[in-house]
Amino acid sequence: MLKHQLRSAGNHAILLAGVAFMILPIVLVVVSSTHETALLGETGLQLLPGAQMVENYTKVLTLEAGFTDQITALDMMKNSMIIAVGVAGLTTLVSLLGAYAMVFFRLPLAGFLFWLTLATLLLPLESRFINTFLVADALGLINTHLGMILPTLTVALGTLFFRQLFLAMPNEYLEAAKLDGAGPIRFFFDFIVPLSWKRGGAIFVVTFMVGWNQYLWPLLISTDESKYTLVRGIRLIGQESGPGMALIVLSLLPPLILVLIFQRWFFQALADEKNAF
Amino acid sequence: MSGVHLKSVRKTYPNGAEAIRGVDMDIQSGEMIVFVGPSGCGKSTLLRMVAGLESISGGDISIGDRVINDVSPSERDVAMVFQNYALYPHMSVRGNMSYGLKNRKMDKAEIDKRVNDAAKMLKIDAFLERQPNQLSGGQRQRVAMGRAIVRNPQVFLFDEPLSNLDAKLRVQMRIEIKRLQRRMNVTSIYVTHDQTEAMTLADRLAVINDGLVEQMGAPMELYNDPKTLFVASFIGAPQINLIPVKFDGTTLSNGALQLAGFSGLPENTDLVLGIRPDVLRVSGDGQFEMRVDLVEQHGGENLVYGALLGATNNEGDDLEVCLKGDKEMLPDLDGTLRLGFDSSTAFVFRKDTGERLI
Repeated sequence: MLKHQLRSAGNHAILLAGVAFMILPIVLVVVSSTHETALLGETGLQLLPGAQMVENYTKVLTLEAGFTDQITALDMMKNSMIIAVGVAGLTTLVSLLGAYAMVFFRLPLAGFLFWLTLATLLLPLESRFINTFLVADALGLINTHLGMILPTLTVALGTLFFRQLFLAMPNEYLEAAKLDGAGPIRFFFDFIVPLSWKRGGAIFVVTFMVGWNQYLWPLLISTDESKYTLVRGIRLIGQESGPGMALIVLSLLPPLILVLIFQRWFFQALADEKNAF
Repeated sequence: MSGVHLKSVRKTYPNGAEAIRGVDMDIQSGEMIVFVGPSGCGKSTLLRMVAGLESISGGDISIGDRVINDVSPSERDVAMVFQNYALYPHMSVRGNMSYGLKNRKMDKAEIDKRVNDAAKMLKIDAFLERQPNQLSGGQRQRVAMGRAIVRNPQVFLFDEPLSNLDAKLRVQMRIEIKRLQRRMNVTSIYVTHDQTEAMTLADRLAVINDGLVEQMGAPMELYNDPKTLFVASFIGAPQINLIPVKFDGTTLSNGALQLAGFSGLPENTDLVLGIRPDVLRVSGDGQFEMRVDLVEQHGGENLVYGALLGATNNEGDDLEVCLKGDKEMLPDLDGTLRLGFDSSTAFVFRKDTGERLI
């Protein structure tokens, strides 16, 4: 009995250490965002709360930063939101349509097309910056939201996840629907969309974070300060300042809220194959 | 209502495999036809060709007077019950049953009426608002039936609809399906590999083997008058006793086993003698002996299994025979029984072609 309790306590200690390791950086940032810039500069990140919280957050929210003082934190938040929602929405939609075509239409080259899509994972955006920039320029996408969205779509992973879901779907759904008079479009809206809802939500959350956390590509493709995102804005304000810390905390909030809201769906859709539908 | 007619129907897959090798069949209006055969024989493929879920490589299928080879599944006016039911998991029972009618732009009041009537008939009217995952296996089966019934089709197609149910429920649903089909009088095709289901449900049976119809007829006709070795061995439970024999002009023989009373059979040809377990009798002056090694008591009747003395099968091992008797028949294990049969109740087949000679 004692041995059992000891082992249990040991397990808990290991788990707690893991939790502390994961969460400490976030705690440091949150706590430090309540201190003066000068203190942070002298002694680094803080472990105990300070008194500058209201000032720092007020400053960040009302601040007009940038070379020409023309962008506010709210503007940057809006830019980030447009890009993250754009990336997530388009990835989910395109992957859904792609996987639908590959699985249900018996395309002659479906297998090849799938592997070709998956192969794009081997070429991350960083490895093709120059080509992608030239293409984006030719299309007139420099300094636009669309230019920051399109090249970063993670369609390969989305297609993989939807494809696996559709392959697990009994073929009889399609056959029964055919006999019930549903054509391809009706089948898509009456079956594919409602049955992929959960997995679509999970893909949306993951790709939202990909879009939200973009740094390098927006840096390359936008020179116009009015198109700056939050992640870029941190540099603008000074990442070691009190207001900078406050901005970091703000930039963490939207993805965090999204994950909290969708976490049940998220795990059901990606981990629990049996209740996938 | 209308009948279904198959004319030289063929199915060849792109890789050259032939699933259906020329089937002719006339199914009368209101008739219940059962396709029965071992797995892989093509019975489901043939059913799916009638449904429009598989294309037709050759020949014609017509419902009534209309050839439906190139008609889409939804316009063939057929309804199908699938083996795994294929209930739409995201729709309620009502949604499942009304989906096909909505797609046909049927009037809302008419849909409600049909769904309610069918639900009442199938005793699922209390579950109409439930989701499929809240139903038991038997209830799901009923919903699948209901989805077919509300369509009021020309033809019902059943693809092994009872094989996912437990034994007791299967018997119960079998009886209900038969009653329902009688009452609605809709032409039906039912696929199964279970010969009991086939015998009890069918107006006529089609025994399918290797893409061809071996024989078609009323269940008892196939039982009493099988045209081939395959039909004789597939129809009837327990299975018919098959004894490899040779004919020498007067007697059939296998080792020490000598059976007189046969004539007009080819000599020097491998033959197979078939005797149903229920025509074998224990009798002092019978033609052969068996050594009993197992008695199965089924309640109302007993099945006695053992080796036929003096004879061997093609591998040279003991030849197993089965005898059906009443519940009092309890012979000693390892004892011997002398058995007899009336030679007019036995069948003789050619071994190579399977053709029946007597």
